[in-house]
Amino acid sequence: MIEVKGLVKCYGDRKVLHGLDFSVGGGRVCGFLGPNGSGKSTTMDILAGLLGPSDGTVKVCGYDVVTQAQEVKKQVGYLPDNPPLYKEMRVKDFVDYVAELRGIKGAERKKAVSRVLEECDVTDVQDRVIGNLSKGYRQRVALCGALVHEPKVLVLDEPTEGLDPNQIVQIRNLIRKLAKDRAVILSSHILSEVQATCVDVIIINQGRIVAQTSLHDDANHQSDILYSFEGNPENALSWFKSRKFVMEARKDLQKENAVLVTFNPDFWKESAGSNLAQVTNQLVQDGFGVVGISEERAGLEKLFFDAIKSQSTMKSNSVAGN
Amino acid sequence: MGATLAIAKRDFNGFFGTAVGWISACVIFAVSGVLFYIVTSQLLDRGQAVDPVSEILSNIYGFMNYISIFIVPVFTMRIMSEELGNGTYRLQASAPISSWSIVLGKFLGVMFFFGVLGVLMLIYPLYVSLFANPDYRVMFSGWVGLMLNMAAIVSIGMFIGSLTKNVVISYLGAAFFIILFLFSSFFPFAPEWYKRSVNLLELGNEFTRGMIKTSSLAIYLAIIGLFLFLSRLVLETKRWRV
Repeated sequence: MIEVKGLVKCYGDRKVLHGLDFSVGGGRVCGFLGPNGSGKSTTMDILAGLLGPSDGTVKVCGYDVVTQAQEVKKQVGYLPDNPPLYKEMRVKDFVDYVAELRGIKGAERKKAVSRVLEECDVTDVQDRVIGNLSKGYRQRVALCGALVHEPKVLVLDEPTEGLDPNQIVQIRNLIRKLAKDRAVILSSHILSEVQATCVDVIIINQGRIVAQTSLHDDANHQSDILYSFEGNPENALSWFKSRKFVMEARKDLQKENAVLVTFNPDFWKESAGSNLAQVTNQLVQDGFGVVGISEERAGLEKLFFDAIKSQSTMKSNSVAGN
Repeated sequence: MGATLAIAKRDFNGFFGTAVGWISACVIFAVSGVLFYIVTSQLLDRGQAVDPVSEILSNIYGFMNYISIFIVPVFTMRIMSEELGNGTYRLQASAPISSWSIVLGKFLGVMFFFGVLGVLMLIYPLYVSLFANPDYRVMFSGWVGLMLNMAAIVSIGMFIGSLTKNVVISYLGAAFFIILFLFSSFFPFAPEWYKRSVNLLELGNEFTRGMIKTSSLAIYLAIIGLFLFLSRLVLETKRWRV
């Protein structure tokens, strides 16, 4: 539903997006992950038709954001990072205003407003002034504004920023619910956020896509196993290192007496469960005091830091080369 | 068209949602009320009233030019700079409407406000009808003149407002440019045609004397059109900010 090819954006001499390529399909939540200032919000603005790209093509539902901007805006619901709300308005009036802006008329508008208030669970505050609401409610009211015209594509810029844990869970559930029949792209600089809601992840840093992955396909299989031991894990470490099926074994940084093991991809291919059981069995037989085994789903975190680290080394190398 | 009116309606209600609209109305009525008292007492002292309505209108409406230097920037600052700053502009920008609709909607919102004030201010000439026979045609043309004058000033303020997100700069900048524009025809280096045609202080006066000249009307519309066009241009270039 979203197709981006060679997207470039410059502000004067400063290039903030260096040729992004990605696509997002319907019914999926795509996470746009990157540190602050990596070009997330600029990309979101371009997808919503607020900013024009300097180069490249961006298509939303088949419409080009440059030549068919109005069509694109009809299809997209946009929630910017700073929710656009008139603080002196009442919730219902505000949503009604947005619907009117979107050209929804008469009885249909009334229906759309009450539907979206229901959907975002704000009916209990519909007659209250927006300025007096808590941040979580405000965020949901802004989401109402983005959803009132039933968009096929939903663009959310840091939707859970500044909310308390309870509100975060509510918004996440809402996003998952909304994603059932539309494409959702959400940006965040928080890993767990993306892990919790997204199917696909695009990692962006300094205006470049550094990694693209799907969380539900391979990331799980490549999760590391953390073995905790009774005493010093030095011996266990060398034991793991001497095994063929172990790709990498290292001491865990956070936990003492623990070894983080990355197995070969082959290890996971067939009968992963019994392979794992055999390794544990062997460990015990060899006299290591295993006190705990846990799965470390560090896939995304590792990917994120590796991708960003590799890019900065590349950059410093090229600077040194100059 | 629907979206334009929606924006105008919202902005109009927004002025009364906060104290801005009420306080501005109070200021305008306080000043014009005092002025009305002074003008009528002077007329009574002189003991002659050839055309009291025209006299009252030209004095009070003429003075509106000066009050608007302080009042209009408050409104244009709110509808342009504040919305650009706090992100509510994105609400309109992400809707499938043209930037003309946005600019016109905001312009009309402010004009509704001043339109209502203008109608309420007709109480001054109407009050005179208790003692004399006012010329209702003069009253009408005076009101039209006032509206056109306000519209021209509002469009200038909107253009300045569209240039900045900073409300303080927006207010001061708009006030400065409105003063500059009002007195621009008195500049010694202004060309002769400019002095003769673009003189808001003089143009407004003609209407309060009951004259609606096509040429004055055209000049007003040209000024309003030009500054609204410039505001739209600025909003449009924000999209293509490079």
